Amino acid sequence: MSFQKRLAAKEFAVLAEMHTPKGVNISRLVNDARRLKGRVDAVVVPDMDNGIMRMSALAGAVLLQQQGVETIIHMYCRDRNRMALQGDALAAHVLGVQNIIVANSTEMADGDHSDAQVVDDLDEIGLIEALKKLQEGKDISGFDLDGAPDFSIGTAISPFSNDEEMATALDSARARVAAGATYIVTPPIFDPQLSASFLKAAQSLGVPVLATVFLLKSLAIAQYIANSDPGARIGDDLIRRIRKSSDREQEGLKIAGETVQTLRDSCQGVVIQTLGWEHKLPTILDMAQL
Amino acid sequence: MITAERKPLEELIEFIRPYKRILLLGCNECVTVCAAGGRKEVGLLASGLQMALLKSGSNIEIRQHTLERQCDPEYVEELVPMLDGAEAIMSMACGCGVQQLAGRFRDKPVFPAVNTKFMGASERQGVWAERCQGCGNCLLGVTGGICPIARCAKQLMNGPCGGSTGGHCEISDDVDCVWQLIWDRLKALGQTERYLDIMPAKDWRPAGGSGPRKIIREDLAE
Repeated sequence: MSFQKRLAAKEFAVLAEMHTPKGVNISRLVNDARRLKGRVDAVVVPDMDNGIMRMSALAGAVLLQQQGVETIIHMYCRDRNRMALQGDALAAHVLGVQNIIVANSTEMADGDHSDAQVVDDLDEIGLIEALKKLQEGKDISGFDLDGAPDFSIGTAISPFSNDEEMATALDSARARVAAGATYIVTPPIFDPQLSASFLKAAQSLGVPVLATVFLLKSLAIAQYIANSDPGARIGDDLIRRIRKSSDREQEGLKIAGETVQTLRDSCQGVVIQTLGWEHKLPTILDMAQL
Repeated sequence: MITAERKPLEELIEFIRPYKRILLLGCNECVTVCAAGGRKEVGLLASGLQMALLKSGSNIEIRQHTLERQCDPEYVEELVPMLDGAEAIMSMACGCGVQQLAGRFRDKPVFPAVNTKFMGASERQGVWAERCQGCGNCLLGVTGGICPIARCAKQLMNGPCGGSTGGHCEISDDVDCVWQLIWDRLKALGQTERYLDIMPAKDWRPAGGSGPRKIIREDLAE
């Protein structure tokens, strides 16, 4: 069943995130994707995530589609103006990539090309509106298209570190839904219980909510996120659990799998983020009994 | 200077239509020099607004004043006694002045009466042209004192594009090709060898790529 159909049927969607290489060696990407075929509904391919210059998401997605894996690409506004964004969206459709998440951009200053010029010609709402207009057979200047594309348009809720920021992030997501986003992806949910109020608030946006499940690869990473990002809501119990484990790596995979399982009750899907450990995705899916 | 042009009267009328008393503020600096928002323009605009509103059957009291510099908090303080009874402020300064007022008088709506355009210089009486984009890392020392960032439509750093014809830019015959100007200037200075120097990809961080910019002079800051 395609990702779009699964969402429409209100069934739980399982997505995994895979990054394109910083270079042209695609063997890891392709091999990891092959091992996921038939186990996830789609693979999300971020575009230059964290401001790191990499192979474009569209190229990565096409490679994965060639392996028989449905894909969702990120589009964002930092690096491309309205001409390039629309052109890429049309290209995505004809190359078989019809799922787009309108994502937030990392600040250029925080990436690996901090001296580059920031474009930001459109904002995220402008990009969603542009995609909608393309679907209606027009570009955003109102000119007719020779053949209209078809997309499922999702968006991401910005990360937040306190209740005030959470309210702002939800307001922004609400505006994007009003503009045409048909599902939303949350920031990482580490403890569904501690994030229950947020998930409930996200449900009020009236579109399917897909929760991000972030693999905690080590105790140090868990502690770092817990200390530096209060919005992540990593509780002491979770830290203690990883610390006490005789195999912390395995424990992290287990926690991710359990989180996926638990989220079945409160979300319409998950996006599993492993940031470089994509080869571990099958294990997480095993742990989640998927 | 920072250049500006007055907004259309119709747009300004819509800003102030809900109010009966406003303060219309000019600025004695850049907008006076480019004849957009100085004392004279304040007087003309006040009359224009009053006449237009009278025609549509409404009456408005417009108090006029022109500050030495609207972007300077010291001068903005002068306004405190003038604001009694004013329901809104309309500023004829550049965007810096408008924001200075909005930051200082938080309970008063502040409207811009001009569109701030660019940092430019006077070419002749009544004509101002863009000369600087404030990119934060001045190149004029190596481009013969002529800026390709502000004056080339493509911001080319290493010579002209194929659209340079007869010294003009492809976007309009009214626009000089800045690289022609740079070449002519380098020739006049006997520095044509500089033209062959390859300029690396520009670092846009000082131009604001890392967000809003600020200058802090520790020796002056209080």
